[in-house]
Amino acid sequence: MKAQWHLAPALLIPAALSAPAYAVTYYSVAQAQQALFPQANAFVADALRLTPAQQAQIGKDAGTPQVTSEQPVWRAMANGRQIGWFIEDEVIGKHELITYAVALDMNGAVQGVEILAYRESRGSEIRNPRWLAQFQRKHFGDPVSLGVDIANISGATYSCRHVAEGVKRILALYEAALK
Amino acid sequence: MTVVRARPYLGTLVEIGAQGPGAATAVDAAFAAVARIHRLMSVHEADSELSRVNRCAAALPVPVGEDLWVVLKAAQTLAEESGGLFDISVGGRLAALRLLPDHGAPPAPALGDWRDLQLLPGRLVAFARPLYLDLGGIAKGYAVDVALQSLGDAGMTQAWVNAGGDIARFGGELVPLHVKHPADPTRLVPLLSWRAGAAATSAGYYAPRRNGIPQSPLIDPRVGRPQILDRSITVLAPTALLADALTKIVALDPARATPLLSAHGARAFILEGRPDGDVAVFDSASSYLSEEVSHV
Repeated sequence: MKAQWHLAPALLIPAALSAPAYAVTYYSVAQAQQALFPQANAFVADALRLTPAQQAQIGKDAGTPQVTSEQPVWRAMANGRQIGWFIEDEVIGKHELITYAVALDMNGAVQGVEILAYRESRGSEIRNPRWLAQFQRKHFGDPVSLGVDIANISGATYSCRHVAEGVKRILALYEAALK
Repeated sequence: MTVVRARPYLGTLVEIGAQGPGAATAVDAAFAAVARIHRLMSVHEADSELSRVNRCAAALPVPVGEDLWVVLKAAQTLAEESGGLFDISVGGRLAALRLLPDHGAPPAPALGDWRDLQLLPGRLVAFARPLYLDLGGIAKGYAVDVALQSLGDAGMTQAWVNAGGDIARFGGELVPLHVKHPADPTRLVPLLSWRAGAAATSAGYYAPRRNGIPQSPLIDPRVGRPQILDRSITVLAPTALLADALTKIVALDPARATPLLSAHGARAFILEGRPDGDVAVFDSASSYLSEEVSHV
C-alpha cells in the first residue's frame, strides 16, 4: 500500500523559499467604528485612566492581567445620545500580535468583535519594540504587507484564544470602569 | 470592490474576502453563516445544538436542524469508509484528557463509538450507548463551505474563506498556496499553485503540551489516545468539509486513506521538516484538480 505514496518525496521545498512573517490590516479604527456602529454619527474619545485598584480588579475578574492603565475607548453617539462603547485592544501571543475592537451596547453586552490587524512573526520579534513600532496605531489603514497573503495560508489553526481572553478582559473593564 | 475582514469564530480567526458588487454586505452575510454554524456545533457552549444532542440523545432521539444533520451524515459516511479512523464520537476521550469541557454530560467513559450513533428518519439523532460527539474535525470545514456558498449566491466574482487554515476559494487567479513549515510554524512554505477548491492542514505544532509531550487533539480511535504528530498533512478536496475530515484520516493511516482520497476527488500531501530546514513533500499522487492546481 505504501507504494501509493511515493516513497521518495515528490518534491523538496528548499528552506530558502520559506517566508518568515506576514501581517494583514483589515480595518482602521474609524472603519471598524462605522462597521460596528453603523447607526452612530460620532465617536467621542474617552480619556480612560484606570486606577491601580481598577486594574487589579479587572485582572482578577478576567483571569488575565490588565497591563496598561490607559485603554483606547470611544463613546458611540447617535444624534447626541450615547448608544454604545467602542474599545480597542491588543493581544500578544507566542507568535502573533492581534489588534481588535469590541463593540458594547449600553448594558455592556458584546455587539460585535472585529479584527483590525493581525501580524505573525518569529517569537523573538513579536515583543521587540522596533518590530512593533511599524504597526503603531498611526499606521492603521495604511496597507501593511509583509510576506504572504493570509488568504492563501493553510497552516493548522491560528488560535483565537488570546482574543477570547481579551474580550473577557474588556468585559471586566466595562464592569470596573465604564458601567 | 474587494472586502477582506476577520473575526474570531470556531476557536480561530476566520478571514473572509470577496470581490463583486455589494461585497461588504456579502461578507457580513457570510460571517453570519459562520456564526450560525459556530453556535450550533460548538462543544464549548453548553446550549449549542450539539451539546443538547450530547446531553440527551442517549435517553431519547433528538430532532436536529438541517446543518447539523448534513455534518453528522457526512461524518458517518467517512467513519464507515475509513473503518472508524474518522470518528466524531471520540470527544469523550478528549474530555477525559481535559481537552474539551464536559458540561455535566452523563459520564461517557468512551464506551461507544461511531457505530452507536444513529441517524433516524425525520432528522432524529439517537445514541445506542452514551457518546460525546465532537465535530472539531469537520464543523470548521463545513462552516467554510457554507460561508463560501453564501458568497457565491450573493453574486461575488471572487471569494475566499480561511478559518484558521481551512480554506476554500473560487474565482481567483492562480496563486501560491502556502502552508506552515511542519517543524517551524512561524515560517511558511509555498506548496503549490491553485485557483479554486478547498484545502485543510492538520499538524501538531499548536497542540497543548503536558510534561513536554504534545497533546494532539487528534485521537486515534484504535488505541483511544492522541496520536503524536511530527509532520503536517495538507489535503485538497472539492469541499472544505472533506479536506478538513480527510486530513485526520491521512494523519492516522496514509495507506488506508489513499483510496478514500481518490474516491472523494481529493489529494493529500504529507510534509516533513528536515534538519536543514528543507521540507520533504509526499504526495498521494491522485490526479485531482489537474487543471486547477500545478506545482510551483
